[in-house]
Amino acid sequence: MATLPAGTALPTASPHPERAFGAGTTVRRRRWSRRRMANAVYWGACAAALAGVAVPVVWVLAGVVNSGLRDWHWSVLTTQTVGTGGGLLNAIAGTLVIVVGVAVIVGIVGIAGGIYLAEFCPEGRGGLLRGGSEILSGAPSIVLGYVGYVTLVVRFHWGFSLAAALVVLSVMVVPYVVKATEVSLRSVPTAYRDGSEALGMPSGYALRRVVLRPALPGIVTGLIVAMAIAVGETAPLLYTAGWSNNLPTTHLFHAPIAYLTYPVWTFYNQPYASAHRLAAVAALLLVVLALLMIVVGRIIVAVTQRQSETSSAPH
Amino acid sequence: MTVPVESPGRPVPPAPGGQGPPGPRWDAAPGVIRPRHDTEGMVRWGTRLAALLPGAALVGLTVALLIEALPAIQGNGFGFFTRTTWDPGNFYNPPVVVNGVTRPDGASYGAFPLIVGTLASSAIAMAIAVPVAFGTAMIVVHKLPRRLSNTFGMLLEMLAGIPSVVFGLWAALTLGPFLAHHVSPFISRSLPDVPVLRYFKGPVGSGEGLLTSGLVLAVMVVPIIASTTRDLLRQVPRGTQEGAVALGMTDLEVVRTVSIPWVRTGVIGACVLGLGRALGETMAVAMASGTVLGTVPRNVYSTFGSMAGVIVSQLDSALTDATGFAVETLAYLGLVLLAMSLLANIGARLLVRRASTTALPVGRGI
Amino acid sequence: MHTDEVRTPQPSGPTRVSRRLRPVAFGALALTGAVALAACSSSTTAATTTTTKPAAPAVPKIIAPPSSTVALTETGSTLLYPLFNFWAPAYSKLYPNISITTAGTGSGTGISQAAAGAVNIGASDAYLSSSQVAANPGLLNIPLAISAQMINYNLPGLSGTLKLSPSVIAQMYTGKITTWNNAAVAAINPGLTLPSTPVIPLHRSDGSGDTFIFSQYMAKGDPSVWGANNFGTSIAFPAISTAVGANGNGGMVSECAKTVGCIAYIGISFKAQTQSANLSEAMIENGTGNYLLPTNATIDAESTSFANATPPNGAISMVYSTTAAQGYPIINYEYGIINSKQSSSTTARAIQAFVSWAISPTGGNANSFLSQVGFRPLPAAVVAQSQAQLQTISAS
Repeated sequence: MATLPAGTALPTASPHPERAFGAGTTVRRRRWSRRRMANAVYWGACAAALAGVAVPVVWVLAGVVNSGLRDWHWSVLTTQTVGTGGGLLNAIAGTLVIVVGVAVIVGIVGIAGGIYLAEFCPEGRGGLLRGGSEILSGAPSIVLGYVGYVTLVVRFHWGFSLAAALVVLSVMVVPYVVKATEVSLRSVPTAYRDGSEALGMPSGYALRRVVLRPALPGIVTGLIVAMAIAVGETAPLLYTAGWSNNLPTTHLFHAPIAYLTYPVWTFYNQPYASAHRLAAVAALLLVVLALLMIVVGRIIVAVTQRQSETSSAPH
Repeated sequence: MTVPVESPGRPVPPAPGGQGPPGPRWDAAPGVIRPRHDTEGMVRWGTRLAALLPGAALVGLTVALLIEALPAIQGNGFGFFTRTTWDPGNFYNPPVVVNGVTRPDGASYGAFPLIVGTLASSAIAMAIAVPVAFGTAMIVVHKLPRRLSNTFGMLLEMLAGIPSVVFGLWAALTLGPFLAHHVSPFISRSLPDVPVLRYFKGPVGSGEGLLTSGLVLAVMVVPIIASTTRDLLRQVPRGTQEGAVALGMTDLEVVRTVSIPWVRTGVIGACVLGLGRALGETMAVAMASGTVLGTVPRNVYSTFGSMAGVIVSQLDSALTDATGFAVETLAYLGLVLLAMSLLANIGARLLVRRASTTALPVGRGI
Repeated sequence: MHTDEVRTPQPSGPTRVSRRLRPVAFGALALTGAVALAACSSSTTAATTTTTKPAAPAVPKIIAPPSSTVALTETGSTLLYPLFNFWAPAYSKLYPNISITTAGTGSGTGISQAAAGAVNIGASDAYLSSSQVAANPGLLNIPLAISAQMINYNLPGLSGTLKLSPSVIAQMYTGKITTWNNAAVAAINPGLTLPSTPVIPLHRSDGSGDTFIFSQYMAKGDPSVWGANNFGTSIAFPAISTAVGANGNGGMVSECAKTVGCIAYIGISFKAQTQSANLSEAMIENGTGNYLLPTNATIDAESTSFANATPPNGAISMVYSTTAAQGYPIINYEYGIINSKQSSSTTARAIQAFVSWAISPTGGNANSFLSQVGFRPLPAAVVAQSQAQLQTISAS
């Protein structure tokens, strides 16, 4: 290894580099302090950016909580909407029904699709399917709502219905579940699959018992993300679910259903205090639901991580 | 669980009793693993069908929109992109036939103000969101301790998880009036009357407008860019970073010479993805923009209409047009919007043509 | 992904447009036709009530609803919405098995969703156009009550009531008058010191029956400035830089309240809200040159001049009468847009029952309901015509 000539001053990151450089370093000193100043400005800008992200979040949350809790009555959670007043029981029940329905549909279709992309698909062809799914996630929600109204509600004569809402919302969120499933399955080491193949397991059996299990936390997180998005959507539901003051029924067709985002969009600029209250409370409930889902997702990940850590101890 | 250990090394005919897990097909050529159950083929086909569904839905969506929009494309032509008026015509007069398509008397649709409004609000949103998200990700990865960066991760998820109507509510009731009363008058008064800055001068209105919409869109787009940048920054090799520090570079220089080239493509991809999200955002912009038809926004405070906002607020009234022309025109508008969002999405993913599937988030960035 | 369901074959022949907008029965139920026959045969006054003279006021028969649980949906006019929000709970109290979900989405939505079969009753301040009727045979517009529209403005410093004429209002909405102290405004308001505040005209961005009657007022009152044909539920308001669009009557109130110098057209059912938002009401010029506010007397004066001319299907514009000297010029029938072919006979019966209650002077048209929103009851002849239209509703 070549050695440097003796006496060469090595640059260091010491706090007083001008001493290391020796005499005649005015230019270098100025350049160094300019660089330091640029560095300080840069980190200042980054800190400002961080504040720029934190402040709106806190502002929005504080505003939602404040206006939602003002004039709070528990009756909002137990009575149904009547005109522009009343409560939100029908909307809460409707949102829960929609979310469960979407979770079921998307759980089946999305997980199955992700399994195919991760396990069975030959390497080249998967790109097209995967791309189609990812690009679908970029479609604007109003376009989905429009197409859903024109085809499902009107042309197929389903009317405002739970079925139309579920179809449109499922199409909207299925890419998230597909991607989450595929990513989780790919993160399972191939050794699992090879081992189960070597042991003679049929691949479906191996999939169910060996491969899916460690992938489950990621899949469930993806499902929760999908449900969170379904809860927060408005435009597609406006034109497929309609609105109803009544609690959800068992009818899949021709029976509109309530959901929590409707009062926010419809009542926020009405000149009635009761309407404003409903909009504010609905916004609060939506935020609480979103927070709940994030927390549940994190708990699941933490619990399963701890489980896999303890179970991977040698036995 | 115990599995019978049985590896004869070559296929053998099944034992007459047929107990235990079935082995490889005894007549199979060695080295070829065929599906051993009929159900395996079913599983394969079932999952393949499921994997085809999203792509099929996308195609179906586009085709349905295209079919719906065809008469409007024929009737409106490409002047749709340059005309400024949005005139549904008179539904109460007998319909007329223009360009081979039946339409109400006097109907004339132009999407130019809507396209300008959509692009302008998205541009404002990206101009704010990209540096903010990048700077935030930087400071989270490099400066914050692990505990705080986890909290920040949750903050980002919260931001991505808040429904867009809630953002719209905040923009219409809180942010808009705040800007109109405290910020915009100050900006409008104190900026010099230079051609470029003239867009920031003018009557500030009551809070709904390009600036408010751009800001709320920025807030919604930040999670996509910030979370992707954060994940990518964490993957920058530490050795190279430490070597740069050892050479005496300041943090800024390390970032410029090491991190940015490494994450550049991914971040650009995430930005384009965010642009797609901003273009297609419906409810928040509908509530923050004032949804005005027919006027091109003049400055940053003027009310405008975005394509998605106009579809959502005009769909019901368009359905009263008995000739169907209004609804078809909205489908045409939706087609243009879909094309823009899909282009942004496809462009982003082509840009980041990695085999790794963790490159870009899907949709919202949660 | 979803369960199979019966898909009724599409009828051949009709255009794509009418296929889409015509509500086709979905899974027609085979209920006893007796109920339908009973409903159809219990017509009180024949449908041949002429329009020449008002018949002797027949006792309006209130039809009883079916005994099974029916959930009806209503959407549409925000002008009728507050009244519907009084009617629906009152009716459900009388008949707990009938529930009615209301929504205020604009008359355009009321018409389109009733036509598509997505709601049972569409509320609209505007009657159907001939092309809408042609595209949806069997769609009825049934008068339910008489309402009016105010012209409100937000000028906090102005003392005294402003007078406005169709010409002045049309010039404001076309951008020809840009400040409140314009000469044209001052000419009809001698004695008022008008401020120099800029005029900010507000219009409805959704398909609105209020827009329909407001634009008719300007079209009839000053066709040279506004255009005699420039009326409808969705029109292109001239692009003025200060103009703002609002959603629904409620949105008009909220928007005008925070915009000093605004002028807005708001339905009379929102009078209390405009007053609590400190908006003022203008006296507007009618067809005989008098400046009036909408009161019971002025609305009645206008409507009686049209009652004899109302056709059996109820479609008539009562805006800007040139004969009623003390008649307020912007009034209209509130219509229920209902399909005469319903999916089931219980639904048909429930709709008939509710609407017959709503138009009856002992039911929804009683003063206790209408006075809360400033509406007026239907004249007896029109009640009879609405009853006749109701009889045509049946299960297909």
